[in-house]
Amino acid sequence: MTRLIVRRVLWTVPVILLVIFFTFVLMRQIEGNPFRTSERAIPESIQRNLEEKYGLDDPWWVQYARYVRNVATFDLGPSLVLRNRDVNDIVREHFPPSLELGALAMLFALVFGIPLGLYAALRANKLGDYTAMVVANVGFAVPSFLVATLLIYFFAVRWGDVFDFPTSGWTTWQSKVLPVIALGIGPMAYFARLTRGSVLETLQQDYVRTARAKGLRQRRIVAVHVLRNSLIPVVTAAGPILGFLITGSFVIEQIFAIPGIGRYYVTAVTARDYSVVMALTVLLAIIVIVANMVVDILYGILDPRTREARS
Amino acid sequence: MRITRRGITAAVTALGLAAVVAGCGGDDSSEGSGAVVDQVITVNWGTEPPSLDPGLASDTTSADVISNIMDPLVKLDADLNPVPNLAESWETSDDGKTVTFHLRDDGEWTNGDPVTAEDFEWSWKRTISPDLAADYAYQFFGIVGAAEYNSCESNCDAMRDKVGVNAVDDRTLEVELTSPQPWFVQQAAHHSFIAVHRATVEQYGDRWTEPANIVTNGPFQLDRWQHNARLDLVKWDDWRNADEVSLERINGRMISEGTTAVQAFEAGELDMTAGLPPEELSRLKTTPEYAQYPGLGTYYYGFNVKSIPDVNQRRAMATAIDRRTIIDNIAQADQLPTTGFTPQGMPGFETLNPDSPWLPENGDIERAKELMSQVQNPVRNITLLLNDSPGHREIAVAVQSMWKELGLTVQIRQQEWAQFLEFVGPPPDASIDAFRFGWIGDYVDAMNFLDLWTCDSGNNSTNYCDPAYDELVSEARQTPDNDERYGIYAELEQKLLGEDGAVPFAPIYWYTYVQLEKESIKDTLEVNLLSQTDYTKVVETDGSGEA
Repeated sequence: MTRLIVRRVLWTVPVILLVIFFTFVLMRQIEGNPFRTSERAIPESIQRNLEEKYGLDDPWWVQYARYVRNVATFDLGPSLVLRNRDVNDIVREHFPPSLELGALAMLFALVFGIPLGLYAALRANKLGDYTAMVVANVGFAVPSFLVATLLIYFFAVRWGDVFDFPTSGWTTWQSKVLPVIALGIGPMAYFARLTRGSVLETLQQDYVRTARAKGLRQRRIVAVHVLRNSLIPVVTAAGPILGFLITGSFVIEQIFAIPGIGRYYVTAVTARDYSVVMALTVLLAIIVIVANMVVDILYGILDPRTREARS
Repeated sequence: MRITRRGITAAVTALGLAAVVAGCGGDDSSEGSGAVVDQVITVNWGTEPPSLDPGLASDTTSADVISNIMDPLVKLDADLNPVPNLAESWETSDDGKTVTFHLRDDGEWTNGDPVTAEDFEWSWKRTISPDLAADYAYQFFGIVGAAEYNSCESNCDAMRDKVGVNAVDDRTLEVELTSPQPWFVQQAAHHSFIAVHRATVEQYGDRWTEPANIVTNGPFQLDRWQHNARLDLVKWDDWRNADEVSLERINGRMISEGTTAVQAFEAGELDMTAGLPPEELSRLKTTPEYAQYPGLGTYYYGFNVKSIPDVNQRRAMATAIDRRTIIDNIAQADQLPTTGFTPQGMPGFETLNPDSPWLPENGDIERAKELMSQVQNPVRNITLLLNDSPGHREIAVAVQSMWKELGLTVQIRQQEWAQFLEFVGPPPDASIDAFRFGWIGDYVDAMNFLDLWTCDSGNNSTNYCDPAYDELVSEARQTPDNDERYGIYAELEQKLLGEDGAVPFAPIYWYTYVQLEKESIKDTLEVNLLSQTDYTKVVETDGSGEA
């Protein structure tokens, strides 16, 4: 296990270098001027001053080397658009809300999704199953911005006196409930469907039949033999989903006015804020790599066979 | 029994989630309470202001905040005339090239230092300097030596000393202009002409605008700035005219999603919000909280005159546009149909407006067809470029159908903003025949609209170039007398959109600003033509402005 982790950590270095390289190349390929944000043209002398100030007049390899060095020293440079702020400030200040939102949404998705899927599987092709799967399919199909807008409309505006949820912001616990649900409902539905399918399959396994034959109680069979062995696909999916959730959801952060990193990421691309885009892409890559590594480790815990195979 | 147990399970999980969320809960803030008539309001700034440094800010949100925490030399009254503010008076020399401002003696920074003419000299030169690389340095290019200093490669210190801004003494600021610029005093009301506190800027560098560091000199102080979430101002009790300021506190949120902002307003969390989503306008317009102000801006469709060379075709395309339909059914904010390029409200409008025959309010298809029939080699396939912000496409589709009646096939091409700007140029990409664009005034003189169309203007993407037009523009620059200058502006408008005009573009409407305002502040809250609100004038009348 230790060897596996060390190997994975070492592998992240070339992956990150590649990510930096591709982001750099792609950013230069799309047209756009980070300093012209409005319809006003920037006079030539001012454009020149800006490029000089931010080193954009250097040859591309100098700029690339500077990016790599910046990432290596965790000094991500100034934002080209938010003129009084460094990328480090932006990450430090705006990553925590995204992390919190993503983690809570993940928790919500797991806590509700797995029991829902399990319930549906145990009542396969009965009314309970159909109800649970309608809920899951709707949750999966309805886009999060619609869920968000409906939640705000009903729980903050229309029945605002009853529920006391604010429409937006990220301060009190009440303000966090609606965004967590809006962001978590899609993954929840996905986990529910995965769990259902996987549990149905596990129920057909010989060892489940054996357990039944030995006269074990249904509850113990489900808890010990079925659920644990059915969670592998859920865990596989959970890694990337976690990465996706905690790197910030532009849509949810935008709608609920949450000061997270996702909102910055999209606006930075639109504004051609090269240094911010670069930094956030690397951060995102690291998170996805770590999430996938966690998944691999969890595999080992859940299924001894994978552990054996690797060592 | 089973149902109950399931119910309990669900309730427990829900509670668990709530507990987890509560555990991570942040601070709740110091906010006004609703019991007494508190002079506290909550507004929606809309977005994070990119910079609160007057020298660096180049957007309306930053400008709105800055103009309430800082003290400009002059302010503009309702008719956009300059009125004394930190400068109690000013005079212009006989040749119009020297403007002298006399500062009040009670201007003060929040740390107790007096506000002096040296502060202005240092701040303006800082903004002009190539080191700061300020977008709005060009606002100063009418000052002797400013453009040269801004583009200096070597010997910059010497060039800095040659810039025509000079603090004669603590309270006298002398400005030398490259030509008589009658609008200069108005222009000095722009936020880039606001002074900054030198010692603070030197001590903290880029971080000087953070609440812990910032030193200001205006009616309000920056109390809290939680980036991309909140920006709160409090009244500064030692400001020279603090007696006249009612509001004690302005809490500001940053909700950029229009729908959420409207919902927050309706839930009572906000007292004011701008940027209303177009699809909600027809409903919101009927509410008593809806407010609307004229803006100093023009929404227009530009033509690439190289790809549509026949003036009659451009006239036909301009004439075919039904402005009233677009305003009433799509834009919906009671924008004004254009009759020229320079918007209504601009000083001298009555004189300079051409009442263009090519811009009929309801469109004139018959006339347009007739014009089209005079075109020898009509360009039938038109590529129309837009950016992808909400609303533009709907207008383009309407125009597409109006132009279709002229036998034109319009292909709409939408691009994201930064890419759109690259394509529009100038010069415009060769594949573009027409494009949508807008212009919002920076300062209050029609020059700010009409010098767009000179041959080498960085904002003229039409390829229209008429040396006679350029000559008139430079003549206007040399004409200090207002009436005389407005006369030249009228000639310029004629050249663009008059009976014999070249019609290098087709204006559609003049902008309005729309917002929602709680009735308790509605009487005193005003947005000026440049989209700024002077919060020193706002009074909360029912004190329930809690949020």
